Amino acid sequence: MNFLLRYKTLILFLILEALALAMISSSHNYHQTVLYGAARNISGFFSRGLENSTSYFRLRQVNEELVAENLMLKRRLEALTSLPQESQGTVRDTVSGINYSYLNARVINNSVNKQKNFISLDKGSKHGVTNGMGVASPEGVVGVVVGVSPNYSVVMSLLNTEFRLSASIARNDYFGSLAWDGTNYRYARLSEIPHHVAVTEGDTILTSGYSAIFPAGIMVGTLTGKQKRGGDFVSLEVLLSADFKKLTNVYLIGNLTREERITIEEEAVR
Amino acid sequence: MNSILKYTSAFFVLIVLQLLIFNNIEFSGYINPYLYVMFILILPAAIPSWILLLLSFLTGFVIDLFSGTMGVHAFASVMAGFVRPWALSLNVTAESSEPGMSPSAYRSGLRWFLIYTVMVVLVHHLALFFVEIFSLRNFGHTLLRVMLSTAATTFFIVVFDFIRPRR
Repeated sequence: MNFLLRYKTLILFLILEALALAMISSSHNYHQTVLYGAARNISGFFSRGLENSTSYFRLRQVNEELVAENLMLKRRLEALTSLPQESQGTVRDTVSGINYSYLNARVINNSVNKQKNFISLDKGSKHGVTNGMGVASPEGVVGVVVGVSPNYSVVMSLLNTEFRLSASIARNDYFGSLAWDGTNYRYARLSEIPHHVAVTEGDTILTSGYSAIFPAGIMVGTLTGKQKRGGDFVSLEVLLSADFKKLTNVYLIGNLTREERITIEEEAVR
Repeated sequence: MNSILKYTSAFFVLIVLQLLIFNNIEFSGYINPYLYVMFILILPAAIPSWILLLLSFLTGFVIDLFSGTMGVHAFASVMAGFVRPWALSLNVTAESSEPGMSPSAYRSGLRWFLIYTVMVVLVHHLALFFVEIFSLRNFGHTLLRVMLSTAATTFFIVVFDFIRPRR
């Protein structure tokens, strides 16, 4: 008893630190907890107010992005309509019909300076957002939805050291795993590329479509030319095309056939 | 009773400033000032250490709750609350040892307050950034983040110490 009294500060200190560490280690599913859902609703309300009052200052940049994207879409449309008539019905999708749904949303909270960055959006389950939806900006891939409340959703940013993305080199279709190393918010690493693959600076990196989250061919970034060797593989430095410090408008991408795909993939493995 | 009200309002003001303004301040993508640590610094000099620890935990926990970083700020804040009594006693001046008083530059001098603040903030940021990354990879880079953020946090705490209500 005397011992407890004498060291009560130290004991309390150790208990509180152990509690904090326990919270940290169970934080991988934290974004789905009820407690956080309530906090998200409160902070979402304030973040949206703040975002509303500051969003005007970025209108010029947002406009430029939209014009650039419009131009890109027009070019793609032109390429499709100029195809010979008989080949028009064929698309590269393996299943006919629409596979992905799109939903626009606004970024109301964002960070780039942590190891595990998350982004809050102003759309939630009420608008049809579900866990596991992909998120992209007009410039490139942004992240994956990990938590949803009625009015808001939380996205695990590509700038999160736990984030993995299946991406491929556009020129030769070799694919690897893209991840952020937690240092500079402009760069990520594409690893698991066999070292015999010839790459050059400026090569385009796109999503591979091998996960059920993103369709193939969404812009991720370009190679900087820097690489690291390890065993049979190299990891390539990628300049991300999305500037995470300027995110404003994003798209949520829902895979309509996701359940079907996951079910059949799991069945095949069994 | 009056002082409980005073510290409760300081708590809310600092938390709201942190969440709405300081969480959105970033210099060059690395430096993020954590003004809320000021709450742990300005609690009365004579506060029992167990209350100090509990309040530190609460502060960090609320920040965690609203910024989606479960446990990281709670851990760092308890660390800061644990070293505060040493930081206070390591450089005692005649004025600073008044038990009921809140440590401040006004009362004890800028030099004293600066040393006290840097000590506590440095421990807080060391715990914060190294627990966040949870490894020693990029050690130098993390250490740089700690140093730069400590400077930024200390700067803002000293500024806010000057403009906070006296008494």
